[in-house]
This record gives sequence, C-alpha cells and structure tokens, in this order.
Amino acid sequence: MLRLPTFLLLAALLTAATAPAQTPPRDLVIKNATLLTATHGRISNGSVLVHDGKIAAFGANVNGPAGATVIDAGGKYVTPGLIDSHSHMALDDDINEATSPIVPQMMMLDAFEYTSKEIYRALAAGVTSAMLLHGSADMIGGQAVIMKTKYGLGRDQLLFPNAPRSIKFASGENPKRVFGMRQQLPSTRMGNFAVQRQALIDAQDYMRQWDEYEAKKQKGDKDAKPPKRDLKLDALADVLRGKLYVQIHCYRADEFLTEMAMAKEFGYKLRAFHHALEAYKVADKIAANDVGVATWADWWGFKHEAWDATPWNAVILMRKGVRVAIKSDSDDQIRRLNQEAAKTMRYGGATEEEALKMITLNAAWIIGVDDRVGSIDVGKDADLVIWDGYPLSSFGIPEKVYIDGELFFDRMLPGYGLTHFVGTPESLPAPPRSGSEPESTEVR
Amino acid sequence: MRKPSESLTCVIPSEDAAYNQNAPGSGAFGLPRPRRGTCFSLLLTLVLFSPALAQQPSRMAATRPGATAIAIKGGKLLTITHGVIENGVVVMENGKITAVGPAASTNVPANARVIDATGMTVYPGLIDSETRLGLTEISAEPSTNDLSEPSDEIMPHMHVADAFHAETDLIPTTRVNGITNAIVAPGTQDTLPGQDSFIQLAGPSADEMLLVRDIAMPLNFTGSQRRKMDWQSGRGTYPTTRMGMAAQLRQSFLDALDYQQKLADSDKRKGEKGVQPVKRDLKLEALLPYLQGKKPIVLAASEPSDLQTAVALANEFHLKLILNHVTHSQSLLDYIARLQAPVIVGPIYDFPKENERYDAVYRLPGELFRRGVKIAFASYDSHQVRNLPYAAGYAVAYGLPYDEAMKALTINAAEIWGLADRLGSLDVGKMANVVVANGDPLDVKTDVKHVFISGQEIPLWDRQMELRDQYSK
Repeated sequence: MLRLPTFLLLAALLTAATAPAQTPPRDLVIKNATLLTATHGRISNGSVLVHDGKIAAFGANVNGPAGATVIDAGGKYVTPGLIDSHSHMALDDDINEATSPIVPQMMMLDAFEYTSKEIYRALAAGVTSAMLLHGSADMIGGQAVIMKTKYGLGRDQLLFPNAPRSIKFASGENPKRVFGMRQQLPSTRMGNFAVQRQALIDAQDYMRQWDEYEAKKQKGDKDAKPPKRDLKLDALADVLRGKLYVQIHCYRADEFLTEMAMAKEFGYKLRAFHHALEAYKVADKIAANDVGVATWADWWGFKHEAWDATPWNAVILMRKGVRVAIKSDSDDQIRRLNQEAAKTMRYGGATEEEALKMITLNAAWIIGVDDRVGSIDVGKDADLVIWDGYPLSSFGIPEKVYIDGELFFDRMLPGYGLTHFVGTPESLPAPPRSGSEPESTEVR
Repeated sequence: MRKPSESLTCVIPSEDAAYNQNAPGSGAFGLPRPRRGTCFSLLLTLVLFSPALAQQPSRMAATRPGATAIAIKGGKLLTITHGVIENGVVVMENGKITAVGPAASTNVPANARVIDATGMTVYPGLIDSETRLGLTEISAEPSTNDLSEPSDEIMPHMHVADAFHAETDLIPTTRVNGITNAIVAPGTQDTLPGQDSFIQLAGPSADEMLLVRDIAMPLNFTGSQRRKMDWQSGRGTYPTTRMGMAAQLRQSFLDALDYQQKLADSDKRKGEKGVQPVKRDLKLEALLPYLQGKKPIVLAASEPSDLQTAVALANEFHLKLILNHVTHSQSLLDYIARLQAPVIVGPIYDFPKENERYDAVYRLPGELFRRGVKIAFASYDSHQVRNLPYAAGYAVAYGLPYDEAMKALTINAAEIWGLADRLGSLDVGKMANVVVANGDPLDVKTDVKHVFISGQEIPLWDRQMELRDQYSK
C-alpha cells in the first residue's frame, strides 16, 4: 500500500475541493462502479485505484491509501477512455496537400489546431486518444499526430508522449479522381500503384546512395560527399526501414491484395487498412498478414467503392482473426463511437468486450500505443470514462472523463463542463438532468 | 445525419468528374459503364428464376394484403396511443389491424397464422419525416442522383414522385430496421426545390409505394441556397444574398396570386366571345395549393434570424407551416412554441456552434417538447435512414421522455403529415404496419425480427445480408 506524507494528502484534498483543475490528485479511487475493462471482462461493484496518473490497481476489493480522492460512481459504468484510430479533427482545412500524389514529408503537427472545439466535443464523448491523419487525396500522404484530448492545455501537452510515428497511404477512387480531374497521373488504379511503386523505388535508390556514402566514410574516404538530403525521400526511407506505421485508406478487395503484395515486394510492414469496406471478402489474407482494420460500423453507398459494404464486415473480420477497430473519420461520429461499436453486437453478435475493444484496445494497437492505453490494466494510463447509462447502447453518455488520472470533463459542471478551459458558452443552460434510462434490454 | 468526411470531398459528387473520360462511371468509348447494381439486378433475375432459390425475395417485396389473418402473440406492445400492453396480441387481416389487446382477452381468429412474440417488443412501423430515398443510389455518382434542379431557386413544379426509384437497394436496407414509411424530399439547394411525397417502404410498384404524392412543399431558408457571387468577374446569379432569396420568394408568391386571379377572371368570363383561356404555368400552378392553405409548407431554417425572416414571409402569405431543423434557434424556443406549428427536429447530430455547449443540439428535442411543441424526427438521409431510431434514443439520453421519442417516430409524424387515421399506432382500423423486435426499438443493439407492411410480412433480407452470407462461409 502506498503511503504519502499527510501534508501532501491534505494539500491534494484542499486543491481538489477548491480548484480541481489545478493539480491532479496523486491518488484517486473511483469506487462502486461497474468496470468494463476491455481485457478482463466486466467487474461489478469494482474500483479503480489511480496513482500518479496510472492505473495502480482495480477489482472488486481495491481501496486507496488514506486521503486519496474518492469518487463514488454510484454503480455506473466505467470504461477505458475511447480511442479513435482515424480522425481529421483539429486540422482546419489542412487535411490534404493535394498538389502531388506523394507527400510523405507533410507533418500534420504543423497544422494541428489544438484549440479547436472539435477536440472538446470528442472529449465530452469519452474519446481520450486519437490519431489525426493526412487525407486520402494522395497515394502517400503525410505523418500523423497522435494526441490525447486534454482540451484547454497547451499544444505539446496534448501530444501523446513517445507514440510511434504513423504515415497515411491511400488508394482507389480518391487519388485517381483528384489527379485525373487535372489530366495528371494517376487517373486510374494502374496509375495509382505505378506512382506509389515509383516513389518507393526512388527511396530505395536514395537509401543506396546514403549506404554507399556511409561505407566510404567508414573506410576513411575523406572525399566522400553525402547525398543531398531530401525530406520526401527521408520519409519514404523511414517507411522502408520500418520506422513508420503504414496506415492505408483502402476499400476494394483487390486493392488490399495489391497493397499487401507491394509491401512484401519492398519489405515494409502494413499496420492497418482504413475504411476497408470490402475487407470481409479477403479476411483470411488480411489476417495472415497481421494487418489491422479500422472501419465504420455501417456506412455505405457514398461512393462506388463503398457499394459492397455490409455492416457485418467488422465481426466477420474479427472472427477470422483480424484486429478490428471502429473509427470515426468524422468530427460528428467521433461523438458517439460507443454507439457505433455497439452496432457490432447487433450485426454479427460481438460480445460486450469485443465491441468495447474495437474503440479501445484494438484502436490503440493500430496506433501502436496498446501497451499504454486501451484497457483497464495495472500500469496503463488512467484514461477513464464514467458513463451515465450503459455505454454500448443508444443511451449511454459520458458523465466524467479522466485523462492520466486527471478530470478533464464533467457534464454536471456548468458552462462547457470543462475543467481546464477558461470561458463560458453563449447561453448557460443548467446542467442536464442525471438519471439516465435504465439499461436497455440486453440482446445478447 | 452527417456523413463521415472520409477526408476528401468523396461524399459530394463532382460535376466535373461526371464528364471526364477517366472518371468513374464512364467506360471505353464514352459508354456508361454499368454500375454494380445493374449486375446485381441481373443476378437477382437469375436467382428469382431459379426454383431452388425461389424463396429469395425481390427488392420490391410486393405487398398485396393477404386474406389470411396474422396474429402476433405474447409480445410487449407499444401501442403509442393507449400505453404499453405486456403479453399482448395484434391481429392483422386484409392489410389492416383488426384487434389489439391483452392476450388473455383478445380473440385470435381460428385460421390465423400465429407468430410467437414472447420476449419481443411490438410497435407500429417507424416514420422518417425527411429522407432522400429513391432519389439517390451512390452519392458520389451523379448519374444515380435526382436530388436538386439547380438551374433556378423557385422549382415548386418539381415532383419527387416523378423521380422516385422504387427499386432502389436503399429501401430494403431501411425497412429491415423497422422503418415502414418516409417523406421523400428533394435536395436543399433551392429555396423552393419541389414537392415531397409520403411513401410506404414496400409495394408492387412505385404507384402503390407513393402513398401521398405532393404532400407538402419545402421552403428552405438556411443561407446555403444563395448562389455564388464572383466579385472579380462581377458575375453572379441572383439571388446571392438572403435579401435576394426573400425578395425572390415574395415575388414568386405574388406572381402566383396574380395567376390565381387571372384564372378566376377567365373562369368567370368563360363562354364569352373572344376570351382566351389562361395558358397554364406549371411553376405558378404548383404554388396555388400552398397559397390556398390546402397543403403545408415545410419551412427549413436553423439560425434564429433565418427562422424569423422566413416565418414572417410565410405569415405574409398565410402559409400553413411545419417547421424544419431550427437547430440553432435555442434562443427562440418560446417563440417557436407560440407559432403552434409542429417541428421536424434536427438532425440531432448537427454540430453546436463554436460557443455553445457540446449538448446544445442534443437537448433540443427535449426542450421543444417541454414547451408543448409537437416534434417528429427525421434522418435527412438516404443510406442511413435505418439509423433513425438511434437518433431518437440519443434525444432520450439528453432529456426527451422515452414515450415522447417513440411518438416522434410514429403518431406525431402521422399527425403532422395528416395520416393519423391510417398510421402511427397499434390501433384497430389502421394500416397494418407493424414491427417485432427483440428489444428496445431505440437501441442500437436491437434486432428487428419481423416487419409487416400493409399486413404482409416483409422478407428480412437485403443486399448487405446477401454479401455477408456469400463471404462469411
């Protein structure tokens, strides 16, 4: 059991009572909760102990040290913070640098509008981490921002510390339409892949030049001249060296196969297919290549390559061994990922834990932060949501959201419900009534 | 409902792309490439003529009221108009509901087919008060869209009934989720884009599915109907401002009143020598039933200023009103209540404004209800009409009483559209549009088990299930 000097505990308590936003409590206990852990099933009447922003213990018989801040969840549900593995929020209109089909040197961080209210609305929906990707106009787009939704803090405090780097690839209708409309290459799927292959060949050549230079230098050749550095080729070389997680926007069954073949040809690894509405048609092959899938629960028909979508996609893939995440790709849907994930319980019969994993642990794996977030497990970041109502339903809505053990959102607070943001909304409605609908009929 | 951005403009069809040689949809030699739906209908034809697969239903799911009675027995009935009946019975015959009541005291005809609904919820078919069903197939493919006529803002003579594609694949995907009726409205590009129809989501052909043609006329006043002004070239098409929109509407109504007068005058002088009949003007003629208050205008506005401008204009011409959206008019809730007009609310998923609380729009249905406003829900969608009940569920989470959410999907909509004598509740004499589900109709996890439209069971089958079965073996 952890012991702390009394004065520290008192200070923590006083701080909590007067200005909860200032210093997060070193010890926090959320007790009397129904824990949906994402890894250890459901724990009724459970507690989570948080120490210094990490989950220190959880279970049915967990008590905090004397003086810990205690939150009584009143039997409500507690889940890990939700994770969106495909978002473009807080990027203003700077999503696509569509002036060339190969722009791996674009850093989404350079466009990251961390004050955007889109982040607030995602936080209020229980989302605590997100991957902000480049758009799909280009075959090879830019590098992602991995963030936590600590709305109200400074830019760098919103960045997920030491997260792996991810890069966006695309295929299919978008690149060929964007460049085809301008009578440029690519305007067909053949063009798409030729452009992608050529870029990777250029990177191989660039790497060879650098290898030759390094070899000469090693031999003591003082006349050896380094090749000119090229940002674009630097980034592509990192793809080939396996230093960037490749996240591919891809819809059609044949294109998954081509992308996987090309990855093999050039020796890089694919992390996940995104959107992936026809992935169910080649589920075995995607599973065999250990590529994840980030998809929607039921969107379809908005374009031709989305015509063969079926809402059973996620569960068919999951049953064949693919790690599946439900993502938003939408500043709207990011506000109800829980509802979207619950659809997999209806379409295909995912269990409660399987559905929850699609918006927590599996999404964390796609981003590459599953050792840090995505479940209620000892040692993980204390990103936790207390829900009013059953989260995997139409009726569950977040009541409190903690990130790294710190309260960032509480819907019962007046104004925006934020703890770290100074400002009041245009009109100040009274906090909405509590006491949600009783848990709706369990279907499975 | 807002579509995912999918990070590019993929949702919005590109006009240029349609005429590009390399664009999707145009094959070699400029011949249109058949879209997959066409291949599918060929496949479907083969399937239908194959005796082994003869039970595979067609997209139309023709409903001809069967003579055999059907009794749904043992379920929890959400009657809407007279409460909940646990362990109830609904009897349907000749397309109508013939009995509703507790199992113990309700007579089931001896010849009836009995469906055991123990543990199930039974409720009237849901009504979506604004959709684009039958007007679009693949959003980004212009050749599959019949949404808006952008050549002019005043297009009251456009009838969605003339474009309604009854065989769309979107309807089976919608009705398997318990939505049995919908308003089909044109796109919102014009102030007066045309006239809505009220549809039944099954039937032998478009004729039967179009339950009421030209049931109402949208009047859109949201700012997005303005035409673009290019200041550099000085080129722009009137109206490029809200003032222009309002003046154009006013002039159109005045023109129609003038036309009405001319018709009356000509009628009076009928038979007199040298009197020429007034030449029919489709546009002005189309406005008359609305100016005469015979049919309602569906007035769409979101911002308070737009709402007040448009309502003043409508009142000037004594139009019968149904309000639509009012998404950002939270400051006018009492004003809206005083108008005593029903409101089609939402989409609940519209974003709040930058300086509003995150739940400002989610709470709107509840706030309107508390002020005595009759509300109905709409998806404003095509492909995702099936998700309509979940939006209502979200409104419940944010303060709308549960029973009111159910009413907003059923009886309120039926009343607003003047069809409460035929739809919207489990009541004797009404059309037998009945749904049986294994749980709460508003919950995402609930699976619909039976859908009856005009008393005929609709096969719970759509293209997406076929794809599932084909690939999950």
